[in-house]
Amino acid sequence: MVKKPSIWPYVLVAPAVIIILCVVFIPVINAIIMSFQNYDLRRPKEIGFNGLSNYRAAFMDPLFFSSLIRTILWVVCGVGFQFLFGFILALLLNKEFTGRGVVRAVSMIPWVTPGVLIGLMWRWIYDGNFGVLNDLLLKFHISSHKIPFLSQVTTAFPSVIVTIIWQGIPFFALMLLAALQGVPTEIYEAASIDGACSWKKLILITIPSIKNTIYVTALLRVIWVANSVDVIFNMTEGGPAYSTQTLSVYIFNKGNALNLGYASAMALLLAVLLLFAAVPYLKMNFKEEV
Amino acid sequence: MKKQVKLKDIVCVYLPLFVILLFILFPFYWTLITSLKPADELYGMDVTYWPRVLTLESYGKLFTTTVDFFGAMKNSFITATMTTIVSLTASTLAAYAFSRYQFAGRKILMCTFLCNNMFPTVLLLIPLYSIMRKMGLLYTPASLILSYTTFTIPFSVWLLLGFLNDLPMSLEEAALVDGCNRGVAFVRIILPILGPCLVATGVYIFMTSWNEYTFAVMFTNAETRTIPVALKSLIGQLGVQWDLLTAGGIITIIPVCIMFFFAQKRLVEGLTAGAVKG
Amino acid sequence: MKQKSLSKRTIALAMAALMAAATMSGCSTGGKESKNPSETTKKETAATAASEAKAGQAPTGEIKPCTIKFRYWADNTDYSQLMQDIIKKFNEENGKGITVVGEESPWDGGAYSENLFNTKMGGGDVDCATWKLTSTPLFVNNDLLADLTPFIDAWDKKNDIDENIYNIMVEAGDMERIYVMPWNIQVLYVYYRPSVFKQAGIEVPKTYEEFLQAIEKCTLDTNGDGKTDIYGFGMRGAKGGQEPWGSFIYGRGGSFKDLTTPEAEQGMQDFIDIYKKGYVPPTAVSDGFSEIIANFQSGLTAMTIHHTGSSKDMEKVFGDDVSAFPFPAGKGQWTSMGDTETVIFNSCENKEAAFEWVSYLAAGEGQKMWCEGTGNVPVSKSIQASDFFQNNRFMKASIDGQGYAGIVPILDTTTEWISSLWPNTVSQALTGSITAKQCMRTLQDGLYQ
Repeated sequence: MVKKPSIWPYVLVAPAVIIILCVVFIPVINAIIMSFQNYDLRRPKEIGFNGLSNYRAAFMDPLFFSSLIRTILWVVCGVGFQFLFGFILALLLNKEFTGRGVVRAVSMIPWVTPGVLIGLMWRWIYDGNFGVLNDLLLKFHISSHKIPFLSQVTTAFPSVIVTIIWQGIPFFALMLLAALQGVPTEIYEAASIDGACSWKKLILITIPSIKNTIYVTALLRVIWVANSVDVIFNMTEGGPAYSTQTLSVYIFNKGNALNLGYASAMALLLAVLLLFAAVPYLKMNFKEEV
Repeated sequence: MKKQVKLKDIVCVYLPLFVILLFILFPFYWTLITSLKPADELYGMDVTYWPRVLTLESYGKLFTTTVDFFGAMKNSFITATMTTIVSLTASTLAAYAFSRYQFAGRKILMCTFLCNNMFPTVLLLIPLYSIMRKMGLLYTPASLILSYTTFTIPFSVWLLLGFLNDLPMSLEEAALVDGCNRGVAFVRIILPILGPCLVATGVYIFMTSWNEYTFAVMFTNAETRTIPVALKSLIGQLGVQWDLLTAGGIITIIPVCIMFFFAQKRLVEGLTAGAVKG
Repeated sequence: MKQKSLSKRTIALAMAALMAAATMSGCSTGGKESKNPSETTKKETAATAASEAKAGQAPTGEIKPCTIKFRYWADNTDYSQLMQDIIKKFNEENGKGITVVGEESPWDGGAYSENLFNTKMGGGDVDCATWKLTSTPLFVNNDLLADLTPFIDAWDKKNDIDENIYNIMVEAGDMERIYVMPWNIQVLYVYYRPSVFKQAGIEVPKTYEEFLQAIEKCTLDTNGDGKTDIYGFGMRGAKGGQEPWGSFIYGRGGSFKDLTTPEAEQGMQDFIDIYKKGYVPPTAVSDGFSEIIANFQSGLTAMTIHHTGSSKDMEKVFGDDVSAFPFPAGKGQWTSMGDTETVIFNSCENKEAAFEWVSYLAAGEGQKMWCEGTGNVPVSKSIQASDFFQNNRFMKASIDGQGYAGIVPILDTTTEWISSLWPNTVSQALTGSITAKQCMRTLQDGLYQ
């Protein structure tokens, strides 16, 4: 780490910062300002500053809280299982076996699939009348009748979570696989001589060597999944009976209804919450350097 | 002894791999056979696992009717490739600066980068559209490249930062002691070692721009529209054109998978190649 | 925000240059937004100011060669091709040097309108577009639509479209002016399977009560395994379901004016009952358009409610074993009138030319080609009278229903009500977490807030 003042870091950071400033700076500031306004484009004549009332309204809104709790569930279950399966897949794909290249390529499929198609395809698989999942359950005698997965308050949310897990596995698999390439093989060899079993190797060597990547991918994925809309929207639009409405879907709905003030306020609250989730990682990151 | 090892391989490698792949690939398989089924079989009372009548009609329709899928693929490809190049370059430089230099404003910038993607795009659309219009980029691929670059840089920087922090610094330090300057050390040592991570980050950027819909529908017209918009136009008020939609999905997935098949080779080459060159 | 008022001002300035000096002051006040929250009569003030500006733009009768950017959505690739053909024909034959450039945008479950709004607010150069009435208040309140009243008054084919239709356009705007050009309508009616009716031993229902009984009787277990094989009715519980649902509310004598009356609640209760008793597929809560059609076409349901847009496919699947009847009368009678219109934007520089195009779609060759190709009900009386539309059993059910067809009240809350509040609240009622009474209260408050 170079600590003496230098012009280089600024030159290196400049392109990224300039591009970002050019494009999102004004819109984001604009959104922050909107959150303190009664900014409903359906009633443009009533637009004006209203202080904190959007935030107050959010705290009084039962839908806000139920969506928030659902968002937490969505993120914890979604990212948790994505990570678990992704990590396992990365470890498997790091082993040598015939056809590894092909398997690596096809395991990226969920990520390559256009978002438009993901929601619709899964909706189609879950379909209560013609869906293949119901057909399989009946064929293997796991269920005695067709289950309308996306039409019941109890099954709709778990169903969409399975879809987001499916979609996120390749991201973790790829990122962790890339990080695994950086772990020097000598360490493993040394450990083998010491007689360490594979579990021990995994916990004592592999995970510590790629811990930064694990943290950062998990954190980015949390932000990503918390803000994701298209899977839920294409599958259930937040229904039935709000049972799949996460905060991001709620914000999206309000944004689409052009109640931008209220939507911005909720979006800022969500951003603050996500920032809290990031604090431990940031602290760790900044502390290590000193 | 030998047999035991093999059994262990099956239980520890092939079995879990099979289970995960089954989960990952089933929806793809279902998309594929849906695209090959004629319409009346689609909503049949019996679900068929292989179409009774195989038809490739939908694939033909995709390129001959108003969808103009070929044009959309070309646009998507140009946009995603350009975005990957621009975004990856900018992110690598920035990530290197963050990981190797201590400078004023570093922490603030890093946090800002992280927050950048926390805001839902639906709230930014009107001002963004207006900015693109004023810059004269509307309806050109440049508008999409610029916006995708903006929204992929922050995550890419953080990803690369994670990778850089995990990399052993000994090689680079050795080179610096040998009298190389930082620039040379970066190009000769860091870049090759970082190879797999650059591939992974590049894939992230490529996929993000390949799949993006919200900006694409706002900033493009018939000439510049991308695959997600073309696919979305197959879902009207009168329902989904399943045959075309799934055929389009398959055609979108396959070339990217083939590209990835070649890219993944770099994933293993990176470290060894770097060690040799260094 | 700053940019928005800025672009508004640019539009205002451009208009000012076109107009006589006398109207100039009126325009710039209309173009800018006054952000005074105390203004309760928001709609009127915006409209008056805007109309002063537009009054100077009455048709001059002279059209210079120009290009008109026209945005539309297509429900499938065939309709997309059809629209391109109409545009091509118009460009070749209009004789005034007008070139229409079509720009297709996905329907996107209704987000078409929001995308269009964002484009216009961001200063996009779309001149005219296809339209849904529900988004009219949003655009009118933001002063984006051109007042078409003077154009329609001066139009030689004005009387080819029914007065009633113009009135609906006026009601969706500011109650005074026409901002929306009629194009085509879809009247909802009930599709049924004559063979299932025969099996159940019933006739086509004449009253609302008979209709409810028909739903019950058509719910059949055909193979005797104790499970329902055919459901009486294909209920739409997802977005868009408010249209068939409205007929139930009116059937009991309720109305959209006040959803909390005992009659309206009774209608809601009927809706809940047929779900709870299993006369509709268990997926009904989340069934949207594609599902109700698929369920009907696969023989899973005996009746469902939709319009002529799906009639071609129905005939393809069933031949003669599908027919239609208008939604029967109970204490009241109502069916939903689906609508598709066109609009011209305020920012359009050649409004006369744009009007040539939208009127071509409303009453000219464009109307004929579109309605014959898509099976929608034409608004032009002369085209409605042609054999093509008179000799079709589905068209007949549509035209029979036209007399009592209506729309959900078009307020600035309507879009959100339709896309989010209605489906979620009704599914709460269907799944039993709230009562019919609570449900109707929520819906009433959401619509008239």
